[in-house]
Amino acid sequence: MNCIEFEARLQPYVDGELDVNEMPAANAHLVHCAECQARVERERQLRQLLRRQPRESAPPEFRAQLRGRIRRSARLAAIRPWLVGTAAAAAVLLVVSLLPGLRPAASLVTDLVSKHITYAQIEQPAEFASQDPPAVEAWFRQRAGLRVTVSDYSPSGIRLVGGRLAEVGDRKAAYVLYEKGHTLMSVFMVPASARSGELRGARVSYRGHDYLTLERKGYNTVAWTDGQAVFGLVSVLSYDALLECADKLRLDRAERFGA
Amino acid sequence: MLEWARPGDRSREFEETALVHLDTLYRSALWLTHNRAEAEDLVQEACLRAFRGFHRFNPGTNCRAWLLTILRNEFLKRLKQGGHEVFDSGEAGDRQRGAESITDAGRTRGHPEEEFLQTVLHGDVDRALKALSLAHREVVILADLEGLSYKEIAQVVDCPIGTVMSRLSRGRAQLRQLLGRLAREHGYVKEAE
Repeated sequence: MNCIEFEARLQPYVDGELDVNEMPAANAHLVHCAECQARVERERQLRQLLRRQPRESAPPEFRAQLRGRIRRSARLAAIRPWLVGTAAAAAVLLVVSLLPGLRPAASLVTDLVSKHITYAQIEQPAEFASQDPPAVEAWFRQRAGLRVTVSDYSPSGIRLVGGRLAEVGDRKAAYVLYEKGHTLMSVFMVPASARSGELRGARVSYRGHDYLTLERKGYNTVAWTDGQAVFGLVSVLSYDALLECADKLRLDRAERFGA
Repeated sequence: MLEWARPGDRSREFEETALVHLDTLYRSALWLTHNRAEAEDLVQEACLRAFRGFHRFNPGTNCRAWLLTILRNEFLKRLKQGGHEVFDSGEAGDRQRGAESITDAGRTRGHPEEEFLQTVLHGDVDRALKALSLAHREVVILADLEGLSYKEIAQVVDCPIGTVMSRLSRGRAQLRQLLGRLAREHGYVKEAE
């Protein structure tokens, strides 16, 4: 092996990755070549320098938080087959944004899907637990001065769980949680603004009204506006089920507020 | 009868097999994002993804490389979603970024590394590594900071071993040159003739 041949193998030689069959020739060359010995030394010094760099560890609180998330995820995964098998529950989250929207609706939908996933993983997603729609409406009114329409989906097997106020992005929002089976679904509502025109998705018509459908993170979303607010539903349920819930909420609001 | 999964067993197994590599994932994420909050978010997403796909992990194979692959894919996905250009080989990027004319990547002659490598500051190594293109930085970090083998790196960055070797060679050569320049700036070594 000459210097050029050795240099072509310099990196794997120093990294201990040179083919064993080539090692004897490389070593034999090094014995009598000071220049290549110096090359090897320089390479080793660079590696040593890099290995001397401070090595950060994951912060303990992050480690603990991650462990918690994984354990919750494990619990969810464990019950999921049963949930799917019996189709025993669904959660519907009604979300009302309290402030005029500053961000595009498409990213709002993504935020809400993320929120929904997060709340699905906590022990008690409802801040105010009640199966009574008027009680949840009253809670929102007293707690945040919000006129939230809480539809009664019980005839369709959708059980009200309660409500929650939360942050969505940099805005305050309210959620109403329902259950139907264990298939999760969320509904959100945002005061109508310029963003109403920014809603994206495939346009579908249901009982004479137009809706926009869009998939985010594996969840189906249905969105619409009634002129006063933008509404949306997020779920792993079928679009048919979402549209039916959307239609009911739309009727309830029209009845309540004449929208 | 329906057999209930045992979530405790599953998460414990994941913790014992995968989460022992959390520090490596965390450091790698820091090098990818240069931002602690983003790094934590990236690691969390990668770990949850890995946990969900843990049944696909073949016990006895390399868990560290498997996790790093997931982390990297998640990072690239975010880059794309953010509308950023995703690197490919890095060679074109180097030229665009006006990286100094690295002569033959493998060649190191004529540089007084023996002198400056002794005096380089941690901050300089950090700066020099950050100045590398992503394609070169990631292989250098995986090899020289995390100690992965060529084969493991090839798995993580999804390219042939030969490509890993050439990127490593170029990356290290660029790093050496950048460190030399920083050392000269600090006056540790005289201008090379």
